[in-house]
Amino acid sequence: MSAVLEAEGLQTYYGKSHILHGVSLKVQEGELVALLGRNGAGNTTTMRSVMGLTPARNGHVRIFGKDMTKWPAYRIAGAGVGYVPEGRKIFGHMTVHENLLVPPDRAGHWTVATIYELFPRLYERRTSKGGKLSGGEQEMLAIARALLLNPRFLILDEPSQGLAPVIVQEVMRMVARLKSEGTAILLVEQNAFLALQVADRAYVLSDGEVVYDGSAAELAADTARMNSLAGVSHGA
Amino acid sequence: MELMLLYSVFNGFIVGTFYALMALGLSLILGLNGVINFAQGTFMALGGYIAFTLEPYVGFWGALILAPLVAVVVGVVVERVLIRPLYGRDPLFSLLLTFGLAMIVEDLVRTIWGAVGVPFSLPNYLNTPLSSSLFFLTGYRLVLIAITVVVTGALFATLRYSRIGIRIRAGNADLETISALGVNIFFLRAANFGIGIFLAGLAGILAAGQLGLSPDIGSELIMPSFVAIIVGGVGSLVGSVLGGLIIGIASGVTAAFFPAAQEVVIYVIMAAVLIVRPRGLLGQEGLFE
Repeated sequence: MSAVLEAEGLQTYYGKSHILHGVSLKVQEGELVALLGRNGAGNTTTMRSVMGLTPARNGHVRIFGKDMTKWPAYRIAGAGVGYVPEGRKIFGHMTVHENLLVPPDRAGHWTVATIYELFPRLYERRTSKGGKLSGGEQEMLAIARALLLNPRFLILDEPSQGLAPVIVQEVMRMVARLKSEGTAILLVEQNAFLALQVADRAYVLSDGEVVYDGSAAELAADTARMNSLAGVSHGA
Repeated sequence: MELMLLYSVFNGFIVGTFYALMALGLSLILGLNGVINFAQGTFMALGGYIAFTLEPYVGFWGALILAPLVAVVVGVVVERVLIRPLYGRDPLFSLLLTFGLAMIVEDLVRTIWGAVGVPFSLPNYLNTPLSSSLFFLTGYRLVLIAITVVVTGALFATLRYSRIGIRIRAGNADLETISALGVNIFFLRAANFGIGIFLAGLAGILAAGQLGLSPDIGSELIMPSFVAIIVGGVGSLVGSVLGGLIIGIASGVTAAFFPAAQEVVIYVIMAAVLIVRPRGLLGQEGLFE
């Protein structure tokens, strides 16, 4: 198994505030890794540093074996990294179809046509403005948009945020399916219970540092430890 | 009297097309590049003077095509070398940069082409009135309107239907997210800046044939073009066109009937619009809304 992502000693700042204090994590080929931690622990910042949106000041990000620490986001995406941002970031003033035309074509299974097959609901709503979609539909659109890059590695930031439990289950089924098709996934979730159900391994962040690094099942079984590690919630 | 009114409205409409082209370019560049481009007028003047220089060799039509393209080349170099390092900083930096650039290039234009204006000659068949009663209706003015309509239409179609247009609109809303989706935002911003400069260069040659050329033609047209954006509504390209035409016609009519107020009328309109509609006539979030 080769590593899809190796992040080493990431130190990231927003202006003067020091957010990440040396975060290291790894995602292997075909693996689903959960990144947990309470709000403000540095999960989203870790994702942004990996994706090149808020580059780390120190440390290294190697993706597919290449050092991409200083790469701009679009080059990282172009190398085959899909990113589903926190809050979904749908282009609300543009139609569903237009949203799907934003990412450049990258060779692979996923095209707008195959996306519409997988998400018939998006096809039905293709002429609707992104802002008019329900939260679940927006999440599907955000995932669809990232899939169009035919990523070998997918980064999902809080996909369950603000969604009804039924929809969350649907999103998680989709995540599990993508993993089963061989996509490596890094999943940030507030809802630790949910994430650990699908993840192989987990990291827990607290105040910008990794405080747990191990198997997802072990962490899920040890609720007392989960609480003491990061005070992460058990979900609904 | 009716003829006088028609005459002044038409004159104003012609000037309004220049404002509209300028305001469109400014709006595009403000939207995606986040730059308040005070040098837009400079590029307009540059377009006119380049056309003036090229015309003896390539004729009017050749200059009409080539001059905006030369302006685009200069514009893209400026974007790459001077403006790109300022992305992500306070918009004040790029505003000051383009303001300074405008002054430098205006003096450069004076040095190269002279402080006194130069006449821009049009082919005779374009410059003669089409009828003696409608003396202000020349072939050139019809051509000018047609070109503006075609170019504006092409621009809107590009933004609406093409991949690059869709990305420009998406990037206006959220540049970071299109980058994370694999869109080369450096290229996209350069292209968008180039399109904006093309419109300025085109306005430059079209205005040269109508108003003649002087080094300060750009600085004279830039303020009304900003006013046009504010009247039309920041963020709305349709609003920029509408604002440009309204401002142009208003100043044309005022120039005929109450010349002393010609300069001030556009600001009065701006104030009135802002009181009634603080976001401008069509101002909303995002383009095309």
